[in-house]
Amino acid sequence: MSTEDRIELLQGTLDLLILQTLVFGPTHGHAIAKAIEQNSEDVLQVEQGSLYPALHRLIKRGWIAAQEGLSENNRRAKFYRLTPRGRKQLQIETTKWEKLARAIGRILKPAGEEGIP
Amino acid sequence: MNPYDSLDDDIRDHIERETQDNIDRGMTPPAARLAALRKFGNVARVIEDTRDVWRHVWLDQLLQDLRYGLRFLRRNPRFAAIVTLTMALGIGVNTAVFSVVNTVLLKPVGYPDAARLVWIGAYDPNIHRAFARNQDYLEWRRLAHSYSGMAAYGLQQPAVRTPRGSSQLTGIFVGGDFWRMTAAQPAAGRLFADTGQDCVVLTWDYFQREFSGDASIVGRPITLNGHPATITGVLPKTFRFQFPMWWAAAQPDPVEAYLTLPRPGEGIAQSMQVVAALKPGATVQQAQSELTALEQHLGRTDDLRVEPLERQLGGGSRKALLILMAAGACVLLIAIVNVANLLLARATLRHREVAIRAAVGAGRGRVLRQMLAESLLQSVAGGAAGLLLARGALAVLIGISPYAVPRLVETTIDGRVLLFTLALSLSAGLAFGALPALTLRRGDLQSALKSGARTTCGGFRLRRLLVAAELALAIVLLTSAGLMLKSFARMNAHAPNFDPDDVAVMKVRFTGGRDADAFVRELLHRIDTLPGVRAAGVSCWIQQGQRINAVSPGYLPALGMRLRQGRWLAANEPRVALINESMARRTFTGLDPLGRQVLLPRPYTVVGVVADVKYTRLDADPPPEVYIPIERAPDLYGLEIAAAPKSILPALRREVRRTDPSLPVFDVKTLGDALSQSIAPRRFNLFLLAGFAAAALLLAIVGIYGVTAYSVAERTREIGMRMALGARRGQVAAMVLREMLPIALAGIAAGLIATRALAAVLASLLYDVQPTDPATYAAVALILALVAVTACLGPAWKAATIDPLVALRQVG
Repeated sequence: MSTEDRIELLQGTLDLLILQTLVFGPTHGHAIAKAIEQNSEDVLQVEQGSLYPALHRLIKRGWIAAQEGLSENNRRAKFYRLTPRGRKQLQIETTKWEKLARAIGRILKPAGEEGIP
Repeated sequence: MNPYDSLDDDIRDHIERETQDNIDRGMTPPAARLAALRKFGNVARVIEDTRDVWRHVWLDQLLQDLRYGLRFLRRNPRFAAIVTLTMALGIGVNTAVFSVVNTVLLKPVGYPDAARLVWIGAYDPNIHRAFARNQDYLEWRRLAHSYSGMAAYGLQQPAVRTPRGSSQLTGIFVGGDFWRMTAAQPAAGRLFADTGQDCVVLTWDYFQREFSGDASIVGRPITLNGHPATITGVLPKTFRFQFPMWWAAAQPDPVEAYLTLPRPGEGIAQSMQVVAALKPGATVQQAQSELTALEQHLGRTDDLRVEPLERQLGGGSRKALLILMAAGACVLLIAIVNVANLLLARATLRHREVAIRAAVGAGRGRVLRQMLAESLLQSVAGGAAGLLLARGALAVLIGISPYAVPRLVETTIDGRVLLFTLALSLSAGLAFGALPALTLRRGDLQSALKSGARTTCGGFRLRRLLVAAELALAIVLLTSAGLMLKSFARMNAHAPNFDPDDVAVMKVRFTGGRDADAFVRELLHRIDTLPGVRAAGVSCWIQQGQRINAVSPGYLPALGMRLRQGRWLAANEPRVALINESMARRTFTGLDPLGRQVLLPRPYTVVGVVADVKYTRLDADPPPEVYIPIERAPDLYGLEIAAAPKSILPALRREVRRTDPSLPVFDVKTLGDALSQSIAPRRFNLFLLAGFAAAALLLAIVGIYGVTAYSVAERTREIGMRMALGARRGQVAAMVLREMLPIALAGIAAGLIATRALAAVLASLLYDVQPTDPATYAAVALILALVAVTACLGPAWKAATIDPLVALRQVG
């Protein structure tokens, strides 16, 4: 896939994606970045570094928590997991996102079909 | 744990994993690492951004707010100056009063266990003061068990002859445990024992001044009131006399020496003050009831009082200082209201600026904080200026009347005062900043942006309300000052014929070198024959409690007293007496006193009654007094000489010197000056309160003017329209005045009601004036109404001279 087809993330959506990724269990930073890229079939481009301020923002809000653990190849790594508050927040954010996507879709579609009168 | 701590490790781990992934995809290790780094982005920025998540953003923003505030003030220097000066006035006034309160009421007296020191006295309703007699002191000391120490002291002004010459000394005689209770240590020599006699301990200042610090003077014989005495020691520079000094107002000279208890006959009937140290565990109440029981046991009916020393030291100044604090708070409130008003007016103008800032993403809280930061900046600047103002004011106050308030000279601006000023500045800034900031928040920002017009956002009504409040506060202060001023006039209103400014007075103290009676005879003979003398005479207080004054025939006429009944005293009479009206009323209620007898304790026949005259104290009604011929005085320790007119003072002085050149003459002044000294504390209070009232009036004028002028400026278009439609100039001016008048009247009415409610508090500062005195209230109300109208005249004139053509063409 060429770089032109990749989409920069909208502000705030990274948080949503992180929360969604953590639904499947605690994971370390690199795995989160990889999961976001692969699950979006490489359309979404995350500059991997920007993951970390976002992770810390979520920790500060109490939506995720960090803990030390051992990774699959027995290396020490920091694992992030969803907190109960984070799970609730994920629902809220998801609903919000769907609404927004629907609204934007509605606005864009008629314009695309009928053109500007 | 702060998750930020291990961020470096996390990032390193992340990049290693990505590198490994890349190697697994077949890249060479260096290329894999490079790709991983590129994909990660700028590591330093990531770390920075992550740190920002945890840092207290508000601190940065606060600094930013302050910077922005400074910039705003620099761009509006006139506005900033007005606000800063107003706050400087408001805060400075409070800082000055607080630093006095801090010293006089809050700082402990510099003696060990000062909290356990009490002051004991028998209250005399005639002179509104408490004192003790030598005999009382000795009995208390022997019989009372509540105390671990007791000391007696009193003013004594002996004539002293030293190798350096003869002079008159301002001394304090001390006895009992005085040195132990004050923890005094001599700088040279020794302190005398309680049993000592004719010993003198010099203060540091006097020792330096009179003996140039020559320590060989210690132990040298001198003459004190004609008796041989010894200088036993010198006190260190740091020693302070901090017991109540009732005489401080009338006798403002600093203490020069401490003496042993006077010999019998050398003081005024041995009246003294007593301070005692309570035993550990004993309370003031216990001490009081023990003394009362003791007094009953001894068969006496004196009204004994035991009071904590610190309360006594604060004395009458305590209540006055608290009232001054309240008055200062009023001035500050007015200043805050004024500044809030200014900011409100400005807030309307700044509406657009704020709307723009909100539109580009500033949160409302952020805008609010920005405005508060500006206010705080200004109030703190005002506080700093106020501190300087307070320092100047204190210097002036101490210079004018150093003894009006006990310990006033010790007043400094210390850490506590600084803290007070800072707290005051911050709260004032919050107070006057919050109001406009809140109205800004309420305002509809969008419409401000859209129309680009000046919008009035309800602030105007609030502003008028504030002006009314300001006027009410000013009324309270002005009325209080007015009542005190009237008291002052009453105090200085003298009986007809009594003109203290034209009476010369001086004192002479006998040194025992010669026969006092002979001196009096010779002196009287000399001054009677002085050319130009209207009346002259001498007197000597026999007893100050019961007020018996031994006088020569010319003394009372010289003071300006008038005979109501009977005749004056003549020279060399047997036991006859004059009494004043107050005495006649008390002793002979309704009877004709002439020919009756008063017991002093020997019987004296009343031959005349003189009119009451305030010739010792201005702020109390003349107490009952008896005057007996000076030849009948049991023991003359000194004389008070009075003569009129004052122009003969130099001649009088010369005659005293000719009669006996060895006698020191002191306290030479007009009776008017002496009397005026007796009300120094009241003058101090009046001076401050009048200053506060003047500040309040000034601020109120500025406030009314500001609001009216602003409302006219804001309504230029409307007024132009009215005039275009035919309104005459007079009508427009009247409209402006009419709008302000109800507010002014409401404020004045509220102020009068508030003053009436506070009247009881004021009573103690007044003399011979009711705290509800209608004339004062009316005068102040009238003055303020006139001031309010005058302040509106300028804006009204401006409104009347608006050119409708220009006004209507004006944009926005």
